[in-house]
Amino acid sequence: MIRHLFKLIWNRKRSNFLLITEIFFCFLVLFAVLSLIVYNVRNYNKPLGFKHENVWLLTMRPDTDSTALNRQTLEQILQRTKGFQEIESVSLTNSNAPFAFSQMTTNLTYGQKEIKTDQFEVQDDFAEVMQMQVSKGRWFGPADNGAHHKPIVISKALERQLFEGEDPIGKVLPRNDSSSYQVVGVVDHYRPSSEYTAEEPAFFNRIYLPENEDEFYGEILMRVKPGMGVEFEERMVKALSGIGKGWTMEVATLEKMRQNKEKVSKVPMIALAIICGFLILNVALGLFGVLWYNINRRNSEIGLRRAVGASSSQVYRQFIGEVLVLATFGLVLGVAFAIQFPLLQVFDVESTVYFIALGIAVGMIYLLAVGCAFYPSRQAAAIHPAIALHEE
Amino acid sequence: MITLKNIEKVYQTKTIETVALHNVNLHIPKGEFVSVMGPSGCGKSTLLNIMGLLDEPTNGIVEIDGLPISRYKDKELAHIRNQKLGFVFQSYHLINDLSVLDNVELPLLYRTGVSAAETRRLALTALEKVGLSARTKHYPTQLSGGQRQRVAIARALIGQPEIILADEPTGNLDSVMGEEIMNILLNLNRHDGTSIVMVTHDENMAMKTERLIRFFDGQQVSDAKTSAYDYQKV
Ligand SMILES: Nc1ncnc2c1ncn2[C@@H]1O[C@H](COP(=O)(O)OP(=O)(O)OP(=O)(O)O)[C@@H](O)[C@H]1O
Ligand SMILES: [Mg+2]
Repeated sequence: MIRHLFKLIWNRKRSNFLLITEIFFCFLVLFAVLSLIVYNVRNYNKPLGFKHENVWLLTMRPDTDSTALNRQTLEQILQRTKGFQEIESVSLTNSNAPFAFSQMTTNLTYGQKEIKTDQFEVQDDFAEVMQMQVSKGRWFGPADNGAHHKPIVISKALERQLFEGEDPIGKVLPRNDSSSYQVVGVVDHYRPSSEYTAEEPAFFNRIYLPENEDEFYGEILMRVKPGMGVEFEERMVKALSGIGKGWTMEVATLEKMRQNKEKVSKVPMIALAIICGFLILNVALGLFGVLWYNINRRNSEIGLRRAVGASSSQVYRQFIGEVLVLATFGLVLGVAFAIQFPLLQVFDVESTVYFIALGIAVGMIYLLAVGCAFYPSRQAAAIHPAIALHEE
Repeated sequence: MITLKNIEKVYQTKTIETVALHNVNLHIPKGEFVSVMGPSGCGKSTLLNIMGLLDEPTNGIVEIDGLPISRYKDKELAHIRNQKLGFVFQSYHLINDLSVLDNVELPLLYRTGVSAAETRRLALTALEKVGLSARTKHYPTQLSGGQRQRVAIARALIGQPEIILADEPTGNLDSVMGEEIMNILLNLNRHDGTSIVMVTHDENMAMKTERLIRFFDGQQVSDAKTSAYDYQKV
């Protein structure tokens, strides 16, 4: 019977061509959107590498251009923050704090390898503020004062790409003509951009104020005791504004920043899903309409099949089966096309993402097809054979 | 083979009630070739549909091989149609998207336990019987009316039914082609012993069968052996 259905669909390929193309395109769009969603969801389920709860970000803008003066004030402010018993630990950072809309990349070379990587400038207490897990070596600290090489901590992702199995601890990497980095530790993960972003290679560069005299850092990350709210924030900002007179200060919780970032990541996904939904609805209506129309056109065939021994449920199954075969034709084309993405590695995305999306898309198309065929097929099965065979 | 007892068929529409058959009693024995005649609208097709289990009578009993089928479910009725009955229609009812061979094979697709190879072999034999061995790969639209009807007959006989119900099989054909079709049916009846009930408007055709039943306004008005019957028995 299945062979019979394939033959029937094949012989009707000209009139089924439109439906098959429609299913083909519907599948491709579904596949694309699902790939994106699967990609995001998989990222979402991966560890961030840090704990953002109870971490605040203080952003400061000085009112003068004098770096020397600003540095003096900054150090006083930093000192003052450590004085609050509500604050557990603090670290200066560049503008690329977690969930911020800012990125800083550089290239690191080791032997013949050159890897593009995110760079984060932070202080010794950063590991404590963000509760990072150091899996190899150690975080940088006072022991590195006066070290010949600048100490860095790298992420596992960078370790994998740059060292490919070699032990990274102690390795010296060129920084510029006059100085170099030395790897002192490795952290498991660091994925600060957003929960939906894939992990990029990253390393942490030590801010040691006595040695970075001409630098200004405008952001302080601080871990506060649980339960701290607006009351403490106001008190703190007031106290700090007393030191940095005329400075603009802004406090944001990382949780708030995370939510902002989430919105920005979700909006295109939701928009795409809605567009995709409309497309599917459109295809569904088309499919439904054509099936409905076909049944009326195929009255004589239905009657004839009943006469030669098909039961009503066999007619029903035939019509459902035909739609499944039709969908299969469209899907074979679609899958042949979609499979190129993981095979050719068109984007730098794990193959698994594509395969999951492919599986779901195939399942959804079949469900869609059966869903659309359900009612028309029931109508077909309900047609009375004597009436269907009635001669005009 | 088929027995109708007190068959009544009433079509009920919103506005009118049509009595298509009234008090029809009929027995078709095995191996008989019966023709049914009557003016248009007198209920001939309705009669054939009821005999063919495609329609249910409003009242009365249909017996196939002595068994009343009134309580049978759709699936069982389909099974009997598939096993014991063959149909030939005025407008052929071939599936245009299937080749001649595939059209002929159709009844066996609904029969369990027949292999594809066996089905193919039986279809070729059936086509040979109707003289269409050379046209197996054609599609219905590529055939003449007479050829199409021969395909339809091949399809009706592939399942080796006990009875073939033919509703004006020559109605759309000219007299030469009608003659050919008639000869095929006669052969089938004589050599294979298949019972045939044929509705026709053609007196000459009817005279070639053994028995002629005339209908008027949903009722049998006459039922008699023809001269062909005597001729045959000689
Ligand atoms: N589905 C139906 N609904 C209502 N009335 C019907 C239906 N089918 C047939 N009839 C009526 O029943 C009567 C018998 O119809 P039937 O088709 O059996 O006639 P027929 O003898 O085959 O005529 P013809 O020689 O023109 O084919 C007609 O009056 C017809 O209008
Ligand atoms: Mg009729």
